[in-house]
Order: sequence, then structure tokens, then C-alpha cells
Amino acid sequence: MKPDNPERNHALAAEYVLGTLHGAARKRFERWMMLSPKLRRQVWLWERRLQPFNESAPSMQPPAGAWDALERRLFSAPETAPEPHAGAAAWWQSALPWRWTTGIAVAGLMALLIWTPVPPKAPENALVGVVQGTQAQPLWVLNASRGDHSLTLRSLPPTLPASDDQDYELWLLPESGVPISLSVLPTEGAELRITLNHEQVKQLLQSRSLAISLEPHGGSPTGQPTGPVVYQTQLVDL
Amino acid sequence: MAARESMLVDQLAKVAQGDRAAFSDLYQQTSRAVYGQCMQLLRDNDEANDVLQETYIQVWHHAGEYHADRGSVLTWMMSICRYRGLDAIRRRRRDVEFDSVAQNHACEKPGPMQNAGDMVDRQRLSDCLRDLDERYRNSIEMAYFRGFTHQELAVAMGQPLGTTKSWVRRGLNVLRQCLGS
Repeated sequence: MKPDNPERNHALAAEYVLGTLHGAARKRFERWMMLSPKLRRQVWLWERRLQPFNESAPSMQPPAGAWDALERRLFSAPETAPEPHAGAAAWWQSALPWRWTTGIAVAGLMALLIWTPVPPKAPENALVGVVQGTQAQPLWVLNASRGDHSLTLRSLPPTLPASDDQDYELWLLPESGVPISLSVLPTEGAELRITLNHEQVKQLLQSRSLAISLEPHGGSPTGQPTGPVVYQTQLVDL
Repeated sequence: MAARESMLVDQLAKVAQGDRAAFSDLYQQTSRAVYGQCMQLLRDNDEANDVLQETYIQVWHHAGEYHADRGSVLTWMMSICRYRGLDAIRRRRRDVEFDSVAQNHACEKPGPMQNAGDMVDRQRLSDCLRDLDERYRNSIEMAYFRGFTHQELAVAMGQPLGTTKSWVRRGLNVLRQCLGS
């Protein structure tokens, strides 16, 4: 259901800003916001309406090392990064909740994955993975930067949407624990850059494993994969 | 106030062009307010520090996307901080101290808004909240200041989920009528 009713738009925008819209509904709403300027304006209006709440918080001096840590994260790479874990692939093979067996079978039919060699103009201290289709055509290029914790997801034309009512969703596969949703993947040449939080970066540097599943339009409604895994990849150092 | 906002807009415009000195200035000017908000929402030094950094990373990458419809520069930055903070709370998945929160709101202690200054916007929101049904006001304040979901509100307030959902929805609707655009 899309928010095409003005009153419902108001209500959803308000609950988005308040924070009570969460989980899959929040992700769906964020996707609608990308498509609807009117909805974005509703959200901005609510952000301004409730801004006095923010101003009521007493100012506090950030920790002394916060700025230096921020500069390191943005402008320079850490000296050392965790080594990729030898057992990174083992976790998901035993993770039954989202039907990996089916996923792997589908993956076998639909895709081959390869690691790219170092491209000539690659940024330093980056990780990369390329997802290829059955004809060895590249579908997506994933670039992760240790420096600023960004992950850039670029779809290569003519990578098409899965279908009218399905999207590809990208998951981070930690060494242990459940998959972590990162984003619905762009298609048709679009590029999306997301910023990973500290925990996601830590998990990604440990496992380097990513998977792509087929999900209902807008992404998994449960926050966990519900559809088959159609592709998987691991990031490698440039 | 207008001069400060103008200065922040100038700094942000330079940040959008990759000016690290302007980014440092912007941090100096705004980080106390942003960190205060992080701490109010998260109540944990490490998490607040992490969300503070994530906020400024996002500001660095998306400075060029700011425009006046987003409100003031600080409104925009605090919205980023708030959304990152909510993400952190959802990740945390810890049990919240529902009883103590419910008690705080039940004993008529002055809420954060009572400590707000006399700016017009604050006063308007404060007035509108004061006129709001207490159940609606408590639901909205607990959601905003503690990041409670509907389900958590229901547990904290000892009410069925549908009831707290309805309180939030009605409260926001009344606030919208009161605050206008």
C-alpha cells in the first residue's frame, strides 16, 4: 500500500519523525520518500515542528577524542584492519532461518561471482566486489571504503529491477548472528552510497560476506531475508 | 540568531565543496548541541559518541543536499543525529526500564520542554503540548525522547498496543492542528 492519501501522508510523516514508524514500515516509507517530493516536504515540516524538542536538550561537550576519531574515519585509514576470517563462509551455510539451501541452488542457476583484480584508479584502502550474472555480465559493483565507512552500490546497465513487485536486497552476513539488511539495491545504472555504522563496518571487515536476496517491493517486510538468495559475494582488498 | 544561521550556512556551503577547515569550524559551532541531543536520546557515552561521529560523517558527505526547506542548519543536523540515534536504539535491542520511565512521566515531574527557553517556536510547541491530553503528550514525549516504539510504549504505559498507537496518532494530529504549518 502506498501513501497516496494526504491524511495518511501526514500521519506517516509525523510517525517517521517521531520514530514510532520502524522496521520494515520505516524502510518502505524511506523508499517512498525517495520517490515523492510531497512526502519529503511533509517530513521536513514535521522535523521543523518538533525541532524545539531537540533544542530543549542541554548542550554537552563531546568526548575529547571525538573530533580526532571523526577525522580518522573520514580522512585517513586506520593503520591496520582486522584480517579476513578464514571461516567466514561457514556461518550462513548452517543458517536455516531464511532458506539458504534454496538460495544457493538459485544462485547456482542464476549467477557466478568473481572477485575483480585491482582496477587502475582504485582508491586506497578500499574493498571491492563485483556481482556477475549467468552470462558473466557484471550486474553490480560494490565498493567499500575503510576511510569513511561508505559502501557504494553501483548497478551496471542494463541491470533491470527484479520485477514490478520485487526488489533485490543486499545483506551483510556476519560471522555469527543473523543477516543485517544494508539496502535495497539500485538498478538500471543507478548508484547508491550508504554510510555504514561502526558495528556494520566491524562485521563487514570480519566476514566480508554479502548476499543478495529477492524480496517484496521495498525490501523485506520482516527485517530478515524472506526470499531466495540469488547472488552472494565477498569483498576483497584493492 | 540570524547572523549565526548565516554563518552556519556559509560553513556548510564550504563543507559541500570539501573544505575541511570549514568542517572543523562547523563542528566547533554545533557539536555541543548535537552531542547533547545524542546523550538525551541514547543515555550512553559510547553510543552517543559513535552516533555523533556518524552524524558528522553524513554531514560531510551530504552537505550539498541541505536547503532551507529542511529548517535551520542545526535542525537538519539534529534530524540526521536523531535518525542515526534511533537506528542505534533499534540495534541495541536491550530491555528498557519501562517501569522507571512510566513512573517519571506519571509523577508530573517537569518534562524537558519545561526547561526550554522562551523562543517563539519552543513556546508554541510547549503551549500546544500543554493543551494536549496527558496520555497523548506522554506517548509523544516518550517516543521522541526515549525512542520508544509503539510496542514499547504499550508495555511502558500498561496499555494495549492499539490504544497507544491511537494515542500517538491522535496526539500528533492535534499537534498538527495546533502548530499549523
